[in-house]
Amino acid sequence: MSRRYDTRTTIFSPEGRLYQVEYALEAISHAGTSLGILANDGILLAAEKRNTNKLLDEVNYSEKIYKLNDDICCSVSGITSDANVLINELRLIAQRYYLNYQEPVPCENLVSSLCNVKQAYTQFGGKRPFGVSILYMGWDKEFGYQLYQSDPSGNYGGWKATCIGNNNQTANSILKQEYKIGETKLADALNLAVKILSKTLDTTKLTSEKIEIATLTRENNKTRIRILTEKEVSELIKHYEAEQAKLEAEKLAKEKAAQQAK
Amino acid sequence: MECVIGIVGKDFILVASDTNQAHSIVIMKQDDDKLFKINPRGAMLVTGEPGDKVNFAEYIQRNLQLYKMINGYDLSTNAAANYARRELATSLRSRDPYHVNMLIAGHDDHDGASLYFMDYLSSLVKLPFAIHGYGSYFGLSICDKYYKHDMNETEALNLLNKIIAEIQKRLLVQLPSFHVRVINKEGIRDLPTIYAKYQPDQSVRHESMEL
Amino acid sequence: MLALATRNEDELLKETRAITENATIPSGISSIAIPPYSDPKEFLAQYNKPDSAVSIKFNRGTTTLAFKYQGGVIVAVDSRATGGAYIASQTVKKVIEINPYLLGTMAGGAADCQFWERVLSKHCRIYELRNKERISVAGASKILANMVYSYKNMGLSMGTMIAGWDKRGPGLYYVGDDGTRVTNNIFSVGSGSTYAYGVLDSEYKWDLNDTEAYELGRRAIYHATHRDAMSGGMVRIYHMKSTGWVKISEEDVTDLYYRYKAQEAVAAQ
Repeated sequence: MSRRYDTRTTIFSPEGRLYQVEYALEAISHAGTSLGILANDGILLAAEKRNTNKLLDEVNYSEKIYKLNDDICCSVSGITSDANVLINELRLIAQRYYLNYQEPVPCENLVSSLCNVKQAYTQFGGKRPFGVSILYMGWDKEFGYQLYQSDPSGNYGGWKATCIGNNNQTANSILKQEYKIGETKLADALNLAVKILSKTLDTTKLTSEKIEIATLTRENNKTRIRILTEKEVSELIKHYEAEQAKLEAEKLAKEKAAQQAK
Repeated sequence: MECVIGIVGKDFILVASDTNQAHSIVIMKQDDDKLFKINPRGAMLVTGEPGDKVNFAEYIQRNLQLYKMINGYDLSTNAAANYARRELATSLRSRDPYHVNMLIAGHDDHDGASLYFMDYLSSLVKLPFAIHGYGSYFGLSICDKYYKHDMNETEALNLLNKIIAEIQKRLLVQLPSFHVRVINKEGIRDLPTIYAKYQPDQSVRHESMEL
Repeated sequence: MLALATRNEDELLKETRAITENATIPSGISSIAIPPYSDPKEFLAQYNKPDSAVSIKFNRGTTTLAFKYQGGVIVAVDSRATGGAYIASQTVKKVIEINPYLLGTMAGGAADCQFWERVLSKHCRIYELRNKERISVAGASKILANMVYSYKNMGLSMGTMIAGWDKRGPGLYYVGDDGTRVTNNIFSVGSGSTYAYGVLDSEYKWDLNDTEAYELGRRAIYHATHRDAMSGGMVRIYHMKSTGWVKISEEDVTDLYYRYKAQEAVAAQ
């Protein structure tokens, strides 16, 4: 049935759906996870790395987190080749704005400009939508720290914490439970990010080569974007595992106590 | 012939513009307003080729209005000035470039009061004081001598009066009146129009030369 | 006025074709019709030279004036058309009746004024049909200014005043070929305008009554025609009221000359 309506993006199905756009969203829900958390003193993006082949030459320092300008960076989930095109477009938009106004582009302006491009691909002749969702973290003088998410349809929104890619529902429900609005410090956010990734990634044990974390902070009136080193990530994982072990031990002790009481 | 003046004070900009609109040798309007608002606390003072002046100023004005509609907040004075510069620079290399000069003055929370000077060749400079037109040949030296940083409104107005008095005394083309405004945190406020005060000194008797 | 000295038709045709074929429409402003020459002003200028085989002389030299006063707007004009030193006509209509509530005046190129004010008339009518109300004088003059501005530096020659009556009361705007648009209580345009301003400024008051206002307009044009060789013929006077415009008078300046002389003689006694 849907055959007749899903070959072109410009055509609605009788139920009023755009299948190609939905397929693109579906593609992303199988792609590597990315999550972002807004804290009072900064923001972080964390992403799952899938290309963990030992033979891979480390040409790219970072696989999924990209700097767009001095104040904004993003993390992508979806088709990497599509993402490269969009990242190039984002960087161009940012530079074009700077050229026009001699001021860094405001975060939402950048996101909405890119979303106009994404939207066009869901409407105009014979094109395939970009199979990419993007998380953006940035700072501007108007609204300070900001976190945005955009999807292949061209929709976007601002978030306090959100997640895209594989297992994003699980991740989002954990975020909903554990994110403390207005009380989250960047250090807490880092721990939360590791916790979520360890629970949502399809691996039994989290390792530093499987994830990538970047933070954005303001220091001395300048934005500082930093990708955490492997060592730092390992520390975070170790910290998380220790916490987890402690909890486990407590649980065990409790159970034992309960049994003894019986 | 036209003259616009801007002086930056402590937390405001004092701007003045002459009120003549001339066409060849005829003054067609004596209460012309060369000020175009770009936001509640920002404005452009525009001189140059008739026609181009209004067209370019309104183009910039409307685009800045559109920016506010899209983004929900106004561009900073700096960004607005640079935007106007870029538009003028683009037009400069077209078949029929705009021939306009302007001062862009504004107050925003980030940068406070600022004043930008832009000529028709689209060179843009941020300045503590600026004058466009022949009036600058008389006014700038007065500014150089008497301008102080962080002047209050009375001090700035005194300086402005000095400049206008000199222009009205020495400039061949008479500019009988100037609209005066203060731009600060609260917005754009009209001050009383400055009229020509200069009268030749009648106490000095000029003896006719006798042979 | 147009004077065409004929020459070899083939040659003319060839020349025209060459110009037309080389025509390029500048990108970006394709929404208006552009003359098919790379530089319309230059193209026109070559046919204005006295030694050119084709010589076009434009209708120039005028005195027109308009002023607002307590009773509305007075529009007064002369009626002479000159091409160089030649008086082409003494009976030109320099007031263009755009619609019952709008008048335009003509100075500069007669064709340019007539054409663009006719286009303006069309736009004003369309506005009325779309909005079920008359266009404001400000709006009408802005339409004209915008149209003329898009042809800036292409050789248009016009200095026109748009007078009318709308919700805001009497309206008066000057629109020039350089794209200027200004509003004021008094305007005078044309080669004789300086003379007209002289009379107008010395007698003008807001509180003029209707007869005084007509006489002031008449006098100003009359004196301008006396000093400016390119102005003359008749003095036409229109009065814009809240109910629309009315034509007040059309008098030969020579008749006026003798009438004023007679009045002066009476006054001297």
